[in-house]
Amino acid sequence: MAQHATPEPKLSHTAAMILQAINAGYIYGFSIMEMTGLPSGTVYPAMRRLERDTLIRSQWERQSIADAEQRPPRKYYKLTPAGRSTLEASRRRYPLLERLIPSEEARSV
Amino acid sequence: MTPRFALHWFHLALLRGASLLAPAHLRAEWWQEWHAELWHVCRARAPLCGAWWPAEREVTAFCLGAIRDAVCLRRESRTPPAPAKSLHASAAQCIGWLAALLALSFLLALVLPGVRAQREQLRYRINPGLLLIERPQSDEDQARAVQTSEFRAWKARQQRYFDAFAFYHTVRERVWTDTGTRPRWNVAHASANLFAMLGVPLRFAALDEGSEMPSVILSCDAFEREFGGNPRVAGNIIRMGAHDARIAGVAPCGAWTLPGAVDAWLLEPDGAMDADAAGYVVAHLTEAGRAEMEGGGAIITAFRPHGNEDDYVGIPVEGESRGPRDLYLFAALLAILALPAVTSVSMGESGFNPHRPSWKKRFSRWGFLCAKIALLLPIAYYVPLDLAYWHAMAYPYAPEYLQLIATFAIGLFGMRWALLDQRRRCPVCLRCVTHPAHVGSASRTFLDWSGTELICTGGHTLLHVPGLPTSWFGSERWLYLDNSWDFLFLGSSEG
Repeated sequence: MAQHATPEPKLSHTAAMILQAINAGYIYGFSIMEMTGLPSGTVYPAMRRLERDTLIRSQWERQSIADAEQRPPRKYYKLTPAGRSTLEASRRRYPLLERLIPSEEARSV
Repeated sequence: MTPRFALHWFHLALLRGASLLAPAHLRAEWWQEWHAELWHVCRARAPLCGAWWPAEREVTAFCLGAIRDAVCLRRESRTPPAPAKSLHASAAQCIGWLAALLALSFLLALVLPGVRAQREQLRYRINPGLLLIERPQSDEDQARAVQTSEFRAWKARQQRYFDAFAFYHTVRERVWTDTGTRPRWNVAHASANLFAMLGVPLRFAALDEGSEMPSVILSCDAFEREFGGNPRVAGNIIRMGAHDARIAGVAPCGAWTLPGAVDAWLLEPDGAMDADAAGYVVAHLTEAGRAEMEGGGAIITAFRPHGNEDDYVGIPVEGESRGPRDLYLFAALLAILALPAVTSVSMGESGFNPHRPSWKKRFSRWGFLCAKIALLLPIAYYVPLDLAYWHAMAYPYAPEYLQLIATFAIGLFGMRWALLDQRRRCPVCLRCVTHPAHVGSASRTFLDWSGTELICTGGHTLLHVPGLPTSWFGSERWLYLDNSWDFLFLGSSEG
């Protein structure tokens, strides 16, 4: 009985949508909610799990920028290399993903 | 306060309440993120004209999502408990049970009065060369005791085979103690040299050679029962029947092996004893006497003062008892010799098996077997000792027979179990193999393999036990599993 050497990560459709949204430039929680149409109670926990699995990483906006715009600083999310490769695999698994959330390049064409 | 302002405070309160569900060390950052997001949500949902209620409902829905997020965060931040290493069927559990049994039997041996008395008896060895002289018993009702007059006559004569005599007879008497009690004791009126002949050392000895008052030696039981084990009673005067006597010491527990249950020994000059009393004579053999008495007891012919002769029986006082230790060694040796008759003494390793476990594994396997046997051997000593001496038995040699049989049975079946258990333990992790499954089908030509397969729960080995031993598959075989089986045993303990 052989084992798979490197098991291919399998994401849920929701997690794949969030990865795709971040990749498409929606990089903070509320914008991802807006883009995917998912409720806050789904998006934020999913993002924490993706961060725990090192598929995305977060970074707080500099306070000076937020002060200049007279708003609280935001927490931005970004794909990691592992997240990018996982997203590639998820796109093969969910072919409509790119149509649902087109990436920046696709939008600019 | 406007409704919108009130709702804003409500949303903040909702978030603050949800933040309490988040783990304390992550709460500040969690609050900062949701507070910032709420600002953006409020801004994005701010109604430009009129209808503010749907917008506020969306903001409220957003805030309710924070509760779920906080709960998820709490659940995920919990460190998963380390999987407890199961002791079930492990070598440690087996050794633990054996050690517990040994400790229990050892503690019982320390506590049980019968076993303690037996141990004390071994500590005090009676002088060699002593004979207990009594009349031969021709029927049940006939007394074995010897008259005081006979004892006096023997003592007065020149003897070839004996150089010293002592006499005692037992009477039930009321005793007045200085503690105010008046118990009735079995008092042995004995020759003054009785304890010196026996060679039993006295505890708290307070002998007064110059005093004319008789001395009394207390038994261990009477000393504990009537005087609470107080050593200061030595030298006190108590009244026993018609005599006042000075307490001269306490006999060690279990030291008295002669006939009669005695609470105290009143040591008197031979002339002071009742001439009609009947008791027992203890005699010390000369060298010539020992040479004549080879092989235990003897019939002794004694002449009476008026010329008649009588036959008596002389029994060695040391007794035929070999002691629990000798019995144990004998029974254990018998059990070891009988072991091959009840089980195979092999370890079940087939020579066909190409897989050889590492030296470390083989050493630990043998070490485990040795540890089991090392624990079984003292168990086979203490458990029979507890069984045999936990209370006094009517038949004098019953404890010894019981100890012999129990030691043999525990030794034999204990070692049989140790070997069978060893053959059912995985050579890698020493856990018992389990989940037996019948494999194959019985073949008329014995060419198909049929038997039982057992598996190690650690995923190391399979044990094949042939249903019908054949010339090509006569004994059990171990099959060492390779890595392809690992996925079945994820989370199982390491061997």
